[in-house]
Amino acid sequence: MIPPRHSYLEASARARLAGILDAGTFREFCGPRARQTSPHLPALGMPVAFDDGIVVGEGRIDGRPVLIAAQEGGFMGGAIGEVHGAKLAGLIERALDIRPDAVVLLLDSGGVRLHEANAGLIAMGEIQRAVFDARAAGIALVAVIGGRNGCYGGTSIVARSCDVIIASEEGRLSISGPEVIEAVEGIEEFDARDRALVWRTMGAKHRRLIGEIDILVRDDIDAFRDAIAGHIGDSRPMDLDALEAEHARLVDRLSRFRDAADGRDVWARLGVNDPDRVSDIEADEFNALVDALEGARR
Amino acid sequence: MDASPRPPRTGWNSLARNYDARMLRGGALADGKVVAPDRATELLEAVIEPHDRICIEGNNQKHADFLAKALATVSPDRVHDLHVVQSNIALAPHLDIFEAGIARRLDFCYAGPQGLRLAQLVADGKVQVGAIHTYLELYSRYFTDLTPRVSLIAAEAADRDGNLYTGPNTEDTPAIVEATAFKSGILIAQVNRIVDKLPRVDVPGDWVSFVVEAPTPHYIEPIFTRDPAAITEIQVLMAMMVVRGIYEKYGVTRLNHGIGFDTAAVELILPTYAEELGLRGKICRYMSVNPCPTLIPAIESGFVEAIHCAGSELGMERYVAERSDVFFIGRDGSMRSNRIFCQLAGHYADLFIGSTLQIDLEGNSSTATLARITGFGGAPNFGSESRGRRHGSPAWLQAGREAHRAGMPRGRKLVVQMVETFREGLSSTFVEKLDAWELMDTFDMPLPPVMVYGDDLTHIVTEEGIANLLLCDTLAERAQAIRGVAGYTAVGRARDRHMVETLRERGAILYPEDIGVDKRLANRDLLAARSIKDLVRWSDGLYAPPARFRNW
Repeated sequence: MIPPRHSYLEASARARLAGILDAGTFREFCGPRARQTSPHLPALGMPVAFDDGIVVGEGRIDGRPVLIAAQEGGFMGGAIGEVHGAKLAGLIERALDIRPDAVVLLLDSGGVRLHEANAGLIAMGEIQRAVFDARAAGIALVAVIGGRNGCYGGTSIVARSCDVIIASEEGRLSISGPEVIEAVEGIEEFDARDRALVWRTMGAKHRRLIGEIDILVRDDIDAFRDAIAGHIGDSRPMDLDALEAEHARLVDRLSRFRDAADGRDVWARLGVNDPDRVSDIEADEFNALVDALEGARR
Repeated sequence: MDASPRPPRTGWNSLARNYDARMLRGGALADGKVVAPDRATELLEAVIEPHDRICIEGNNQKHADFLAKALATVSPDRVHDLHVVQSNIALAPHLDIFEAGIARRLDFCYAGPQGLRLAQLVADGKVQVGAIHTYLELYSRYFTDLTPRVSLIAAEAADRDGNLYTGPNTEDTPAIVEATAFKSGILIAQVNRIVDKLPRVDVPGDWVSFVVEAPTPHYIEPIFTRDPAAITEIQVLMAMMVVRGIYEKYGVTRLNHGIGFDTAAVELILPTYAEELGLRGKICRYMSVNPCPTLIPAIESGFVEAIHCAGSELGMERYVAERSDVFFIGRDGSMRSNRIFCQLAGHYADLFIGSTLQIDLEGNSSTATLARITGFGGAPNFGSESRGRRHGSPAWLQAGREAHRAGMPRGRKLVVQMVETFREGLSSTFVEKLDAWELMDTFDMPLPPVMVYGDDLTHIVTEEGIANLLLCDTLAERAQAIRGVAGYTAVGRARDRHMVETLRERGAILYPEDIGVDKRLANRDLLAARSIKDLVRWSDGLYAPPARFRNW
């Protein structure tokens, strides 16, 4: 058996864009030729990237116009600095002017770049505001997670503010990273080197089962493309009713799973018959399991 | 003329009488052969005598860690001046006993993670190093001048008669047991559990003196697992050159792979690149290696037909057990490994390929780095010409024709180093003089610690090309062939353009285009598995990787 050959996990930001957009439709804004590099990194003796680790622009998916951003995990772990953040915020703000069918965010980031923390944090606020403005205007935001750096810190808040999240099993979504939790709470609380535990806690399968991710796909650029294409234009209402329903869901979840020590305990309570197998099954079998669980709940 | 005076003898069986005396003292602490774990320290104090030669079984995987800790807690008044003769110095207690004065002399093979501390203890005069050996050398000396008086070994299980089951990690146990038990030595085994009936008997009970059930299973390190996700496109390119320029050219069927990402890349392009070249059944059929997970796709796709292992690898147990046509499996269903036999098989194979940290202009290579004593392990034996070999094989004969172009026809083993021209931190792999020279002075060694000697080496593969040293007639040509594949390092930039061109015409330097390797194909798409998860998929779920290697 030869496994899939076009891994999203391994692809660079530009290769992901090339695989997801219709061929020849991409037009980059503020590309590497513009050399908009970080004003902060040289002062720390750090190298810069000509695109500051993010590619933004417009293109088409199945012929429908989208704005799209791709974070490059290979540069500073996809972390958000001043220029990187401004490019992302500016892209999302542009949606209000041109009304695309969707804004697609290919996230691969540990959060704010600590080397330029103040500028990065301000940028996070601007990105967050731009996301809500676009959603209030009825424009669909699609977050995509499947890179090596996962989606952590402020980037995870942005993702959870979108209409839909698509992820592969290799993707992770959490505010704090495993090493941070271990450093703060101790190795008895969370052993960051136990990678299976990390994925049972922050991995996309767990996030899908507890309802924080909408779609799980296998690690394949075409599978991601198809999932994104299926959700262009799908915007969810963002009003008081939706917010209150979400809060009620979180309160319910806390009371249901408060004493669960491991992801497997949570899955068992959700009705998964063989929680030990969940980590090992492929995306198709996993999605069938999720469908069965959700069908049973309805 | 008078006969030379001899010391008076007290008979011909003093060792056996001494064994009986030790057993009497130790037996007082035992229930039959079984000693409770909380009496382990007492037992060691009872049966070990000052100045004993002792082996604490520990190689790069399995360790008698409980007994090692117990030895570190004996009273130095009762047990002192021990001479440690063992393959690996890997755990803290291995050196604690020197710090405490329990042990003084050391003959060993490999120090790995304890290398820095060992170097400091040597400098402080706490450790007197006899010699640093290869595995085969040290175990050979067990049967001449370094036979242990006491050996502390590790096994999976024992019964009450002292029969031992090692499980797939048999490793060095047979060699240690044979030397100790048959020279009236004390053999103490730590086991994970004591059972009524063993799945199989790896060591007969009447060879074993005492058995201790350890509170926790013996330590095993998964050191042969390489995550395909970390293999680079440069490594894929070098792997393509190895397949075409060496395996295909010579028709290499019996071989040993070193451990590392470079050789893992070769293993992972067999089902793709080599398959497309029609090489299945023609190359890489029999291997002497540990059950490296990156071999799974090559096994499943019918390239590698048989593998004998020096040790096992964590997570591979079920996969190996279910492939008894490929691996050496006991009637109980689990593998039996054996480091000595694997080393011998690799020594008489057609080819060894491995990686190294430094290569000089004669082709000598070394993994020694300053301030650290690491040692040799098994690579020098795998990676040496087998001058005692007599049977022919196509690869051996063809290499022999290149090596011995006049006079008596001979065969030649292929010994290949596969390296990138620059290592991490942009330091050059190719150097005018090895760090090993400085290391020799620092640690007062008899020779510079060279891993593979230049005259044993036949090929160097870099991302630039292949140097075929068999086709170099003089040391000057050899140096230019090496410079010719050393790329943009200082050594490479000092090459003589004319000589390099001459050598290339002769085939002593081969660039990718000379052997039909298309550099544009060198990307990760060529890897049959690109992640640990892919390896699990190839194995039909039989491979169970340790948690640290997972990203799911």
